[in-house]
Amino acid sequence: MMKIYPSLCTGCRICELICSLTHEGSIAPKRSRIRIRSNWPEEEKIFLCIACEPKKCIDVCPETALSWNGYLRMDEEKCTGCLLCADACPYGGIQTEVSKRFPFFCDTCAGEFECVKWCPTKAVAKVE
Amino acid sequence: MKSEFNGYAGKILEIDLTQGKVKQTSLGLDLALKYIGGKGLAARWLFDLMPPESDPFGPENILIFATGPLTGTLVPGSGRCIVSCKSPATGYWLDANCGGSFGPEMKMAGFDAIILQGKASQPVMIVIDDENINIRDARDLWGKDTFATHRWIKSHFGEEFRVACIGEAGEKRVRYANIISEARAFGRGGAGAAMGSKNLKAIAIKGRSPITIANPEPFMRICREAFNEMAIHPDSGGGRQKYGTNTILSCMNETGVHPVRNFQKGIFQGRSIVNEEEIREFYVRNKACYGCPIYCSKISEVKEGKYRGAFVEGPEYENIWSFGAQCENTNIPAIIHAEYLCDLYGLDAISAGNVIGFFMECMEKEVLEEPDAGFPLRFGDDEGIIRAIHLIGRREGPGLLWGEGVKRVAQVIGKDSESFAMHVKGLEMPAYDPRGSTGIALAYATSDRGACHLRSWPIGAELLSAEERIDPFSMEFKAEFVKSQQDLFTVINSSVICLFTIFSLSLRHIVQFLHSVTGIESFSSPEEVLTIGERTNNLVRLFNLREGLTRKEDSLPNRFLNEPLKDGPSRGRVVDLETMLREYYFVRGWDEEGRPKPETLKKLKLL
Repeated sequence: MMKIYPSLCTGCRICELICSLTHEGSIAPKRSRIRIRSNWPEEEKIFLCIACEPKKCIDVCPETALSWNGYLRMDEEKCTGCLLCADACPYGGIQTEVSKRFPFFCDTCAGEFECVKWCPTKAVAKVE
Repeated sequence: MKSEFNGYAGKILEIDLTQGKVKQTSLGLDLALKYIGGKGLAARWLFDLMPPESDPFGPENILIFATGPLTGTLVPGSGRCIVSCKSPATGYWLDANCGGSFGPEMKMAGFDAIILQGKASQPVMIVIDDENINIRDARDLWGKDTFATHRWIKSHFGEEFRVACIGEAGEKRVRYANIISEARAFGRGGAGAAMGSKNLKAIAIKGRSPITIANPEPFMRICREAFNEMAIHPDSGGGRQKYGTNTILSCMNETGVHPVRNFQKGIFQGRSIVNEEEIREFYVRNKACYGCPIYCSKISEVKEGKYRGAFVEGPEYENIWSFGAQCENTNIPAIIHAEYLCDLYGLDAISAGNVIGFFMECMEKEVLEEPDAGFPLRFGDDEGIIRAIHLIGRREGPGLLWGEGVKRVAQVIGKDSESFAMHVKGLEMPAYDPRGSTGIALAYATSDRGACHLRSWPIGAELLSAEERIDPFSMEFKAEFVKSQQDLFTVINSSVICLFTIFSLSLRHIVQFLHSVTGIESFSSPEEVLTIGERTNNLVRLFNLREGLTRKEDSLPNRFLNEPLKDGPSRGRVVDLETMLREYYFVRGWDEEGRPKPETLKKLKLL
């Protein structure tokens, strides 16, 4: 699971770039599973699935499409794209994008944690 | 076709503000191959589309925002965008560039460049939301400062929009008004005034198209290696992460090139107060541009005293100088406040500090009297600096004249003030005294946009570099050095990434980036890519010659040529420009009047 340290974030968005490159094969920060909100002059905020304990997203899903096994998993057969999970997440950890039918979220890059590897200030970290 | 355009958006947005017409055209592959992007494309368009001898404030001036194939990618420093137009400060070529997120957002909205022509009949703004492009009424925004303009746009259209806008200085055509994006600037040469003359207050962009990479696997590996090299290099990951651009401050002062009192001296006695450690006390957090691991930006804040509340992304080395040593001011909170005001008004802080220092010398030499300014403006007067910025930003009272820049002001007031009007081609000087560096002397004199340290920066090799140090006083090989560095910097400004990557990366890296992003075979050759830089620099030269530039203006202020420096390691030195300039023209393949020879143009496929 991951831990975030927003005070270390410089707003470089390298995490968004490497996340989209890894998952989408192109540079598309708006399709990234981790998001940096930087609204000058406010400080940066980091949004991603931090594997919280309550996991409201799983509870609210009317189709029981979500489950947890190391990270959040979604059954695309069941998901209707209602996005209640994204609304329920208090951490803004579930992303949506108009060109995508389903919500999307951190899958730890199959344990590779690319954003953690690339973050220059260690504002995102892996915790065992 | 799309596959040919990896790294590029593939489209150009053309807007005629007079008619309110918007047109989308394709970026031709030929053009990309010949000029890469950014500065290269802008040079071609400005040369081809603008009628000769256009008024910089006339509707015929063309304002171009352009990115390159590396903009917005994972390449370190890829958050840049250039703006280009005929400069209101010099009347010649201008390209200025800005970090942050504006460039990447423009590309993700689907455009490599935006070409703006004409003049709107009343204040407007352009809102680009992917494919939806609107020219909207901006009368409510006219007169607002740049931060308020950002807030207004983000609250009306959404905080995801990235903005480039002008402040009051641009609206009122201060010849060194800039364009502000968040707290960063398209700084030098008055692009903000050109934008203001078009009645264009702001451009807001939001885009969601992906940027495609031709060869993602090698691309990621090359980027990873570059990140690692930058992180451990003393000139990028080292000092710049800790001090920002001020990492060179005390070194510049010790080597005697940190100009004091409008270039009357080269060592600042206030050094015990103005040095990088002292300035660091004001930093509250780090800030990075899009895609950059170095975070050389520092957010500074004044927390107490009469300048309480001022906060900037900075202050940068140049501005610590322009409102510090240039005006012999040691009050750091005042410097931060001055830069903050420049951001709000949309003023280039380098030129603004120059203008104020020039007036301080006018007062000192009694060329001007107190009533001319309306208040005492003496060297070291921090409150005078702040007052002057307000007057310039609003163009009130004497600020009406001061907004014209030192060249024009000296012409108006006369009385020998031209002998200490510190500018080249009408653009005020940056923070390095060329009497202590032959390289920067030649770089200033031959820069396409006037006195500028970012067309070539020999300071690094002459006074800072730990490896391969070259003699700052020798004239040997300086022409070759400046020429090849100008060509390299133009490649970087065409790619478009941050020039600061060059502290730790080289042409070898740039070529690897270009090739893996675009897949274009000719971009894998360092010689070919450097030739593109040379081609663009020659095209820009042709533009400047067409606009009336002569050899006489490839020069330096009289002070550097005839007044020996009074102190420091360069004491007693003046610049012998003629010798270096002749050599420079020769290595450029230009004739004795500085005109590219036909064979040079043929070789570069410009003829």
